Amino acid sequence: MAGVLVCVEQVGGKIAAITRELLGKGRALADALGGPLAAAVVGSEAGDLANQAVALGADTVYVVTDAALATYTTDGYVAAAKAIAAQAQPALVLAGASFQMRDFGAALAADLNAGLAADATDITVAGGQISAVRPSHGGNVINTLTFAAGRPAVVLARKQSFPEATEQAGRSGSIQNVAMPATSVRTKVVSVAPKSGAVNLADASVIVSGGRGLGNKDNYFKLIPPLAAALGAAYGASRAVVDDGWVPYEHQVGQTGKTVSPKLYVACGISGAIQHLAGMRTSRSIVAINKDPDAPIFRVATYGLVGDVNEVLPLLTEQLKARLGR
Amino acid sequence: MHIVVCMKQVPRDNSVKLNADLSINADGIEKIINLFDEYAVEEGIAWNEKHGGKLTVLSMGNADWTEQIRRALAMGATDSLLLSDPAFTNTDTLGAARAVAAAIRKLGDVDLVITGRNSTDDESGAFAPALARHLGWPQITYVGKIQDVDPAAKSITAERNLETVVETVQSPLPAVVSVIKDINSPRYPSLLKIKRVAKIEPPVWSAADLGLSAADLAPAAALSARVPAPARPSGEMITGADAAAKVTALVNKLLENQVI
Ligand SMILES: Cc1cc2nc3c(=O)[nH]c(=O)nc-3n(C[C@H](O)[C@H](O)[C@H](O)COP(=O)(O)OP(=O)(O)OC[C@H]3O[C@@H](n4cnc5c(N)ncnc54)[C@H](O)[C@@H]3O)c2cc1C
Ligand SMILES: Nc1ncnc2c1ncn2[C@@H]1O[C@H](COP(=O)(O)O)[C@@H](O)[C@H]1O
Repeated sequence: MAGVLVCVEQVGGKIAAITRELLGKGRALADALGGPLAAAVVGSEAGDLANQAVALGADTVYVVTDAALATYTTDGYVAAAKAIAAQAQPALVLAGASFQMRDFGAALAADLNAGLAADATDITVAGGQISAVRPSHGGNVINTLTFAAGRPAVVLARKQSFPEATEQAGRSGSIQNVAMPATSVRTKVVSVAPKSGAVNLADASVIVSGGRGLGNKDNYFKLIPPLAAALGAAYGASRAVVDDGWVPYEHQVGQTGKTVSPKLYVACGISGAIQHLAGMRTSRSIVAINKDPDAPIFRVATYGLVGDVNEVLPLLTEQLKARLGR
Repeated sequence: MHIVVCMKQVPRDNSVKLNADLSINADGIEKIINLFDEYAVEEGIAWNEKHGGKLTVLSMGNADWTEQIRRALAMGATDSLLLSDPAFTNTDTLGAARAVAAAIRKLGDVDLVITGRNSTDDESGAFAPALARHLGWPQITYVGKIQDVDPAAKSITAERNLETVVETVQSPLPAVVSVIKDINSPRYPSLLKIKRVAKIEPPVWSAADLGLSAADLAPAAALSARVPAPARPSGEMITGADAAAKVTALVNKLLENQVI
């Protein structure tokens, strides 16, 4: 076992941001482990992904293509990844922590008899030993897991934890096709329907969230989406307003909703209950707007503004529009 | 049919303390059914009411973790099972899944296992996939709706609620399904039912009952450090004569510090 294997995710034929992060971090970890950086490309077709992975730092790209891999199934993708792992023999397998990759990564870890760290925010190598840092207990506890030697480690990383690798033109690497092993794919994907108006909060680099302090649903929509548009942001919500039916569950940030880590999180009329903080406290910068100077949200805010959302948000939207030109 | 719901007892809130040996000290904090598992219990009960047979609520945990098992029985579970052994204490999610898989194999006649999306204490979300692989069964995770469970055709159709798409998946039974919060509205057990189950003691199976050795349960990733989440560096309050002045000051800061 040596080196690192990054499981490649793609968006419209391009390597996804999370994979760029993992190739960047993976390069450093592979060097620390004294092994190669490999990438795994799995799907019905590979397109240009293998070349892109090489340009982003992979030494070897293993490719499994098969018609059975046109849509994600646990059976199909885990079988392909195991065939690749059998050749690459990685000490560490890296993937993102999206829902699909958690379905995949935990199954792969079980099959490889590997150790697993889900939703990791950091990964280190010291003296050949691999460790991963992951929050638990609603973000209140930060755990370091150290993997047993002699067994592979699987780490699923939270988005926006590492800087993205940059492309190096002219970099060369080896691309190897691996045969899809005979696999019985037991589940059948009957349909895949995009969610209407769905936002992938985990992908957004700026999020504007509204809470009960907005007063009612109409006011939420009058104030939050325009501010989000001015910042090029996605919009989220506290559980209180999701439970009251203002916005669908997909928008909920927090322990029982989505965990996000954007560059900027703007909390409007949100008190900052620990379950909400669990979902956003690792954001790089936090702006909090609340009329109560003692609201707990101010304890995590980078910039706190005491004021009435009805007065502050329209002014803020206007100024941002004028000064950012969106 | 026989449905098993995996249910974990967790602290109501996460203001936990750390013991010197790095274990979590949740003394004095009320224990509840893991939020997502309440939805799993409700979903299990609904399909049990439709198809009959058994609904076993299965929990791995301390010997005194019986209160929430009784709550699930009061909601409508027909059977219960507690996996408890000091040997389970230090295992990780993958080890827990291995132990629960052994228990389900021992039960023998299980058609469907329902779990929550994740626990609100460990939050790994790895249990359902790991359990499915240990059992050699298919899995459908992040389910927001079970369209149909057909015991005769031995099949299940469910909607997976992912970040930006809804995937409808059909799977043969037996299978493992994990559910999210939106799937149903968990019922409140009646006082009469709570009274009726108040004295039930679930059967308890140990590692030896499951044929598991210390090596089977040894975590492949050991906790080497654990600290309370560091406080965020203290921020600053934006001041100004009125809302407009504060907003200008805020936008200036955001631009100066290249936040936007
Ligand atoms: C098991 C469990 C899981 C949970 N999971 C989540 C989760 O995932 N996400 C989540 O968000 N919550 C979660 N919660 C709920 C959480 O505890 C809080 O109840 C919730 O976050 C409160 O939402 P809020 O801040 O919008 O509302 P409130 O707590 O009602 O706060 C409203 C805030 O708005 C301010 N305000 C009012 N009017 C104005 C105004 N005109 N201008 C400016 N400010 C104003 C008030 O000062 C107050 O601080 C969970 C709870 C439990 C028990
Ligand atoms: N100790 C346990 N006993 C029973 N079920 C569990 C246990 N741990 C986890 N589970 C189940 O697995 C789900 C996911 O948990 P986790 O992988 O810890 O996030 C939970 O919602 C439970 O349904």
